Amino acid sequence: MKPAIRALGIATIMIWIILIVFLVTALYSVMKLGIGFGEPQFFPSSTGVVLSLPFSLNNSGYYDISKLNITTSITDSNGTTLSTSDTFVPLVSKGSNVEAAHNITIELSDVMESIGLLFNDSFFMFDTFVSLNFAHLVPVQLSMNMTVPWGAPFHDLSVGEIQSNNDSIVVPLSFENHSFFDITGTIELEVYNDVNELVATGESSLDAPSQQPYEGQIDMPADISKLTESGRVHFIFVTPIFAVEQWVPYD
Amino acid sequence: MIEKRSKKGIVRRLIPNVLKAILWGTITFLFVYYLPMLLYPMELLPLDYSQFFYLFVGITVFFAVVTKLFSGTILEHAFSMARALVMIIYFIAVFHGGIIRFTMPMEEAPVNLVADLTAILAILILVNLLGIAKSMLQVTEFLAKKTESSQLPEPQ
Repeated sequence: MKPAIRALGIATIMIWIILIVFLVTALYSVMKLGIGFGEPQFFPSSTGVVLSLPFSLNNSGYYDISKLNITTSITDSNGTTLSTSDTFVPLVSKGSNVEAAHNITIELSDVMESIGLLFNDSFFMFDTFVSLNFAHLVPVQLSMNMTVPWGAPFHDLSVGEIQSNNDSIVVPLSFENHSFFDITGTIELEVYNDVNELVATGESSLDAPSQQPYEGQIDMPADISKLTESGRVHFIFVTPIFAVEQWVPYD
Repeated sequence: MIEKRSKKGIVRRLIPNVLKAILWGTITFLFVYYLPMLLYPMELLPLDYSQFFYLFVGITVFFAVVTKLFSGTILEHAFSMARALVMIIYFIAVFHGGIIRFTMPMEEAPVNLVADLTAILAILILVNLLGIAKSMLQVTEFLAKKTESSQLPEPQ
């Protein structure tokens, strides 16, 4: 009986020692972990924009970090998913430093589908999910939800009082570019009267810097006899990245 | 006269046990409370976990004292088994079945952390089960010795 009791006692002590040593060194390793973030950068892509978030992981602890996976999901205020991006780092060995970037691709065509985002300020939900395996033994998951304000490129698009001459009209137009990018391109517009008859058509170049209000007047030939006190203007904005149309009433 | 002698015997047997219990309780307290406090300030732990820590200290010190106080009796082994069972329940409660969740307040947004400590919990349960097995063997040995000694012929 005695040898069995002794063996169990030794086994118990050994497991306790291994466990305590592991827990202490694991805690020390976590405290020694260096996480750094670089300056986020925007890059234009052929179909939209890429938000690059550089980060570094300095693992100066005693254990490897494996299967590091970063997933970011962007949804609009209605909960529609606009983008999902993944970054996978298979292994951050002990004593090594890994530098990588988490690239979030935002397809402007997806944003275009939510046409309200181009004319009204809104917000995006950034859901970030990080999973990793610490010491090949302890799976860890981190999640963070962030609300990021979205500035509409044509916020508060409105038409002022239309002034008429003998054979032309002047349409004053204003909006605020709340977006993070400059808008360059052309505006095509069609003016309709209150019985939906075409009064005038015109075109103008567009240059609206980011975070700036835009005010312009578009002079175009018109059939003055058809012009009524109220009606609506059909705008078509064409930029190198997107084209969008919008109806705006005037009175 | 006989009563006085037996009382003296009990006191003589109790004194070393009490001394051992005090000494063992102090050592355990220093090891499980004072040393971790020196290495890692408990203020950094979330409130729930600092309460769990004090509970751990309480359980460990209590069982260290009572097992030494009843050392040499069957109660010593009973308390050893009880300690292992209590520790298993304690670890399951502290580890929330192996999944630990934290919410860290950050400037931009709170960060939720989930750590799967099932493997660690399994090892902790295993080590306590080994402790129970050891205590059961010790009880068997204790009872066997007692039976043996009671069956021995009395010296003439």
